[in-house]
Amino acid sequence: MTDVDGNIITCSNPECRVGETGKCVEGLELVACQNYGKAAVEPEKIESDNAEEKSRTNTVVTLSSAAKLTIPEATRILRQRQCKVIAVIGPHDAGKTSLIASMFDLFQEGPVGGVEFASSKTLHAFELACHDARCTSNRAIPHSERTKHGEGIKFYHLDVRGAAAKEGMTLILGDRAGETYRKATDAVEDAHEFCEVDRADSLTILVDGERLLDSAARHDVRSDIELIVQALVEAEVVLHKPRVALALTKIDAVQKSPHAGRAERDFDNILKSLRSIFAGNFTCIEPFKVAASPKFTNFKRGYGISELLNFWLLTPEREWPVYQRFTSATRMIGRLTVIKD
Amino acid sequence: MDTLPHRSVVVIGLPSSGKTTFLAALWHTICDHELATKLSFHSLRSGDSAYLNAIAKLWRNAKLQERTFISGSRLVSINLKDQSNTPLVATFPDIAGETFRDMWERRECDSKEVEYLRGGGLLLFIHADNIKSPRWVVDMTAMAKELDVEIPADGNIPWHPKYAPTQVKIVSLLSLLREEPLDIGPRRLAVMLSAWDKVRDEGLTPDKFIEEKLPLLHQYLRQDADKWEWRAYGVSAQGGDYDKLDPKNPQAPASAEAESLLALDSPSTRIQLVYKEIESHDLTEPLEWLIS
Repeated sequence: MTDVDGNIITCSNPECRVGETGKCVEGLELVACQNYGKAAVEPEKIESDNAEEKSRTNTVVTLSSAAKLTIPEATRILRQRQCKVIAVIGPHDAGKTSLIASMFDLFQEGPVGGVEFASSKTLHAFELACHDARCTSNRAIPHSERTKHGEGIKFYHLDVRGAAAKEGMTLILGDRAGETYRKATDAVEDAHEFCEVDRADSLTILVDGERLLDSAARHDVRSDIELIVQALVEAEVVLHKPRVALALTKIDAVQKSPHAGRAERDFDNILKSLRSIFAGNFTCIEPFKVAASPKFTNFKRGYGISELLNFWLLTPEREWPVYQRFTSATRMIGRLTVIKD
Repeated sequence: MDTLPHRSVVVIGLPSSGKTTFLAALWHTICDHELATKLSFHSLRSGDSAYLNAIAKLWRNAKLQERTFISGSRLVSINLKDQSNTPLVATFPDIAGETFRDMWERRECDSKEVEYLRGGGLLLFIHADNIKSPRWVVDMTAMAKELDVEIPADGNIPWHPKYAPTQVKIVSLLSLLREEPLDIGPRRLAVMLSAWDKVRDEGLTPDKFIEEKLPLLHQYLRQDADKWEWRAYGVSAQGGDYDKLDPKNPQAPASAEAESLLALDSPSTRIQLVYKEIESHDLTEPLEWLIS
């Protein structure tokens, strides 16, 4: 890349790729960056007669990916340790990616409600999810990349310890496009493929707070949620009666609105309705309010995430029927597969 | 043929984290004999001294070390003896920071470096004064509003792993070292917070510094998922700001800060090593702990 005068753009910071992207890695204005425009200093070559160095080969070894886990990768982890599978469900733009990203970002600042980060095999995926709410994205308003329809199901991985996680717990967080959940309401057979729901220790169903503020859309919100849950029940992927967290997202926007009271009443009505219609299908349905990546400053970043994390962690260990653990088909592709008679 | 027992210490860290400066100061301290150190000079080794002598010379003259080239990872060995006069060979793979950058960004590593990284205890360098912490749009917007300033944001720089905070890159690097093909089982890890002179006024111990400035790394180490036996050190191997090498003017006068360092009678006393609340000039202390 060249500047307006046709000179090749350079920077003496070895981590900066301003020459490729046109952006300072420190997020500075180019004129304000002390390294911008300076050539990387050619190191003075110090000769070594080290025989090892001379026999150096260039074979590249591939290390483990840090992207989201595929079903076989998640299955491998499920077999190795005590895990909780969490299915985060909601229409598109309800805030699924924001919620997952926000939880990881809270750990960046310290323990979350006493629970501490222990490790993750999906650090690239978490960082990607967090990017659009960070200053490095150069956005004026926080944003979250939507999970694309057609990507299928992938998983985030997080090992945590302490407080509600006690001696250690692995969280496997399902990530599927919201559009896919909505489409299952048109064709219930699609919901048979929701292995993350069938295996879930708990479900987190998101209610989009911003849509509840929209007079034209608010009734659709309730309808969408009820139809999605109905599809899950009809597809028999919740026969194990999981616990459900019903989370009102974007509470910062809700509270800022003159329609805040109405939106919160709508949320309460959705909760009552789900508890009434699906009383026998879930162990419990508990309400939460979150501001995962607030656009307003009336709520702290990650508001409500700690309570949700505790809900996930305190879900009792699921009893696995023997036929699910040991049938050969299940062993081959893991416990995530939906078993039908 | 070498008959001395071999101990390997792997020097790791992102680019410009102070790895080569440490090696230079270490080599000077060992050869200088001025200070009592836990490990001391035993003998010169054929083949390894040229590189060490060259970087130690730059260090003595208060000149910045140039970064180790990506193609320049090298294995250096030093003949030492411990406090009971038992000789040993300490081997330091000095691996370019770009290798670790590629391990995080591209998830790949050169096969020769895999061999080096499987060596032994780890000296992990983190530049204490150059930690990239995550910053959020919402916080920045709130601050701008409070200060009544506008932050230019033209939006939408696509994600790249290089934008990750320092602590995420370090956690990933350490996790990779506990996975195939780099895993050799539990190891000792000395976290070396370099440029400690720049942050010591904050009054934190090295452990507390990690807890406050690199909380994700601190949780990862404390929760012990990867079984690191670890210690944190603050290290100032330079003692202050050095001058850049100017190939066009090698005789350029030293800056005031470099001049004050050059004025010290013993260059070894530029070195500061802090472990918990104990200070010393002995850079061999973490090595002795790693190989003991």
